[in-house]
Amino acid sequence: MIQRTLFQKGLLLILALGLLTSGSIASAESPEGTSRFFSPPPEDSIPSGPFGDLVRKGERIFTQTRKYAHPYVGNDLTCESCHLNRGRKAYSAPLWGAYVLYPRYRKKNHRVNTLEDRIRGCFRFSMNGMPPPSDSETIKALVAYSFWMSRGAPVGEKLTGRGMINLESPKRTPDPFSGKKVYAARCALCHGLHGQGRKSHGETAFPPVWGARSFNQGAGLFKVSKLAGFIKMNMPLSKGDSLTDQEAWDVAAYIDSQPRPKKP
Amino acid sequence: MRSIILAVLFLPVLFFWEGEKAMADDLVAWGKHIAEAGNGKPGNTACMECHRLTGGGMPSIGGPRIAGQTMEYISREIREVQQGKRYGPVMAGVVQNLSKRDIQAVATYYSQLSPPKVSDIHTPSPKLVSLGKQIAHRGLWKKNIPACIQCHGQNGYGVPPLFPYIAGQNRTYLLQQLLSYAFLKRKDDPQGLMRGIAKRLSTEERKAVAEYFSSLSPPR
Repeated sequence: MIQRTLFQKGLLLILALGLLTSGSIASAESPEGTSRFFSPPPEDSIPSGPFGDLVRKGERIFTQTRKYAHPYVGNDLTCESCHLNRGRKAYSAPLWGAYVLYPRYRKKNHRVNTLEDRIRGCFRFSMNGMPPPSDSETIKALVAYSFWMSRGAPVGEKLTGRGMINLESPKRTPDPFSGKKVYAARCALCHGLHGQGRKSHGETAFPPVWGARSFNQGAGLFKVSKLAGFIKMNMPLSKGDSLTDQEAWDVAAYIDSQPRPKKP
Repeated sequence: MRSIILAVLFLPVLFFWEGEKAMADDLVAWGKHIAEAGNGKPGNTACMECHRLTGGGMPSIGGPRIAGQTMEYISREIREVQQGKRYGPVMAGVVQNLSKRDIQAVATYYSQLSPPKVSDIHTPSPKLVSLGKQIAHRGLWKKNIPACIQCHGQNGYGVPPLFPYIAGQNRTYLLQQLLSYAFLKRKDDPQGLMRGIAKRLSTEERKAVAEYFSSLSPPR
């Protein structure tokens, strides 16, 4: 009898510990630098020579898209606006998570897409611009950058941290009115009360999140679940996972209820 | 006839406009007076004792450069010191008797200046500057620290109205603030953003970013 209760206690303890450890998606990367995510090669390891030049060009386009891919950009966003840390951060659609899954079938356009197709889609929808031709220097450089970053990542595998996190369905239907309050308290400091973003000496510092200079209705983030996942893990910058799931859903519903360019 | 009617209609507008301008001039003049001599109330010593009349600051004592920070930012920081949310053992006594209008005046005055950089007292260490540059432009994402320039603007020039410029700020002040966010009682940062970041930086990294941004030129 006593043994049985001890056993039960032990079981409970194990269960409790399990719950505790599985409960935190917060510590995305531990301070020691050991990570449960794929670690892309360090930035200073881009080789010299023509390949390295193309990779570096891709990185420049990625962070200063308007400056280096001007003809194809139709708003104030950069690639890095959504793919944080130069496309390296887990759960902000890192390039290493995507690269190894292409080519792949996408419901969005009902065909097998190459990575080139996918990047062209980004320009068309998220950048509200013109897709660069598949054989353009812009696409070549961005593919090279993604390829270099994904070296060593297992091809075809759905890696932890790829894409945006899939939040569980909200307990309450996402509510733009509650979302507006969350937005004013937690987002407006950087993105502005009217979603307009903020500039520093003429350059976009914080991207607009709705309105004419933001992503259009064809973009992935126009889907409330995607945007909620992005916000949950990444916003406010440096304080990811500080909003509750419901807050992330609500604020995503609010942002996506605001005006923005139509799907082309 | 029509021109007379127009003149009569627009005269008050003109006076109003002139009046506004005069009031704004008054405000700046009063701000300059406070900067130069204080507002005459107990404790309120002249701002220029530590920030200079030009707002260039005093690197030797860690008095920050405030010239060209936005009016909103300067007045916000004064209010936060008054309310004890921003740790400022010296400032607390000085600003306790500034009125709302005094704050607006002195903030407007300093926000309109752009004096040359007052050089720092020591030569920057190239090793720290290069580490600082790395953190400033790329961040330390392993510790969930974004690049400093993501919130403080390209080149550290600030993002109006509330993210101050840090380029060309003196090293002693920058380091003091990072330490104050990390360990002392500076608690006026929105959502604790800087407190979190400053805590996660190591001693060397804090020195490095302070060293890097102080090695740059201030905006304009």
